[in-house]
Amino acid sequence: MSNIRLSKKLLIKLKSIISNIVLVFLYRAIKVLAKEDSNIRKEFESWENGLSVALKCSIHGPSLYLIKNGNKLSKVNKLESADIIITFKSLDAAFLVLTGQIGISRAYSEHRFMLTGDISKTMSLVRAIDITEAYLFPSIMSKRILKALPEKKRSSLTIYRKVIFGV
Amino acid sequence: MYFEFSNPGKILSGTYALENIASELKLLNCSRAMVLSDKVLNDIGSVKTLSDALVTGGIKIASIYTDIPADSDILVVNKIANEYRKVNADSIIALGGGSVIDTAKSLRMLISQGGNDILSFVGCEVLPKGQSVPLVAIPTTSGTGSEATQIAVIKNNEKHVKMEFVSQFLLPDLAVIDPRFCTSMPKRVTAMTGLDALTHALESFYCLQKNIVSQSYALAAVQLIKDNLINAITNGSDKKVRLNMANASLLAGSAFSNSMVGLVHAIGHSLGGIAKVPHGLAMAILLVPCLRFNLDYCREEYERLFLAFVGAEEYVKVEKSKRAEAFIDAIEDFLSSVSKKADMSLKLSSYNVDPKCFEAVAALSINDGAIIVNPRECSKDEIIEILKQCL
Repeated sequence: MSNIRLSKKLLIKLKSIISNIVLVFLYRAIKVLAKEDSNIRKEFESWENGLSVALKCSIHGPSLYLIKNGNKLSKVNKLESADIIITFKSLDAAFLVLTGQIGISRAYSEHRFMLTGDISKTMSLVRAIDITEAYLFPSIMSKRILKALPEKKRSSLTIYRKVIFGV
Repeated sequence: MYFEFSNPGKILSGTYALENIASELKLLNCSRAMVLSDKVLNDIGSVKTLSDALVTGGIKIASIYTDIPADSDILVVNKIANEYRKVNADSIIALGGGSVIDTAKSLRMLISQGGNDILSFVGCEVLPKGQSVPLVAIPTTSGTGSEATQIAVIKNNEKHVKMEFVSQFLLPDLAVIDPRFCTSMPKRVTAMTGLDALTHALESFYCLQKNIVSQSYALAAVQLIKDNLINAITNGSDKKVRLNMANASLLAGSAFSNSMVGLVHAIGHSLGGIAKVPHGLAMAILLVPCLRFNLDYCREEYERLFLAFVGAEEYVKVEKSKRAEAFIDAIEDFLSSVSKKADMSLKLSSYNVDPKCFEAVAALSINDGAIIVNPRECSKDEIIEILKQCL
């Protein structure tokens, strides 16, 4: 009875791989946009130096660990604890957000994740992710998942180029 | 679509509710209760009324702590936790307003989790169940709804900030509404707390986290407040009216505990922190401008609220396309009546609020947790505009 169906196993594996890719993409995009977009820069500058953030797609799922060091956002492999920890209750819930099917606000409204840490500090991070999503997702998706479309300071193509090729 | 909903364990509401606490505590295997309250309630005899009811029912009072300030903090919670352990209590009874009940929730969190550091539980839904420590909440105001919420707010003395804890394990095992404790509120406090409850009901009904269960609670609360608040102000000794308001507050509390509040609270929290505007008053002042701000995003919800607020006869007299606006007008008229009866201005300028603080209020508001579920995105500049309308 404890065996999981193969189809479910494969689906989880696939969602895990895609989530891992999107998390890396999200990190790189925030890093690029902290230089290219004044709104994200403003949010980034408001984060205290040394702020650590963990974004976990379920307790054992793919994770992203970030630390603000001066004016740099760094990705690290593991953090024992973090100032802000967002843990999705399931990989499926995280997948909905990471693939642009629902926005962060709706995920929060639907209790899709748990939050450890100061809620007010998390609001700035949420705004930064919202703006990043507006660059990464096609506008038809962004309109559906964001309460308002932020003004883009650069074209999405430019951001994609910098995220992928670094130039 | 997906939603979650948590309720307090059991609600005891009405005549002699207090006298039934003892038998409920016995069912929860408790015999030594620690009572938390404040000095005013102690002085006017409310604590004695409670302890008499408990002792008569066979519950021992392990300790009574009444030194809880209006803005409770970690040091107070730690001090009470030491006392709780020293007297070997097995349950907590909170008699008071939001601060006393939030202190009791924090105390329960600390005792049930062990240790001395509640800071590690700051956040949303991260608290594990822990050891069972039955908690009874008896509200003496009709506004915060704290007896029915899974939220506790406690001040961090070192950082001078308020910390928010959200967990289903903060919900009291018993929420007790006894009309004996509701009749002593003065007119203005009745008005402010009642309008706070109204705002809980409205925001939980139309904000993003709404769901069919919380909306049912919110609608019932809106109707009770519409029918009873003005009577509660003008005829405060009417126990039936007071009980209706207390029930409305509980319903609205449960609704917003599950569906959150929005922009009115986000700005109101900051206005309270920076300009020291009392919470209920801030809600009353901000409500109409915020309803107007959200209008185009909440038309359907406003129409449904309009029906609950004015009743079927008035509702059908208004064209469908104008009902959302008519709802805001009806709320505005109601607020105006309440403020006249309570002799209370609904303008920030009447309370010497300096418009120079609006920038700081707006900056704080956009980082308030409530703003994430507001249906319309709201920028700092838009918040400043809303505040200007309230002058």
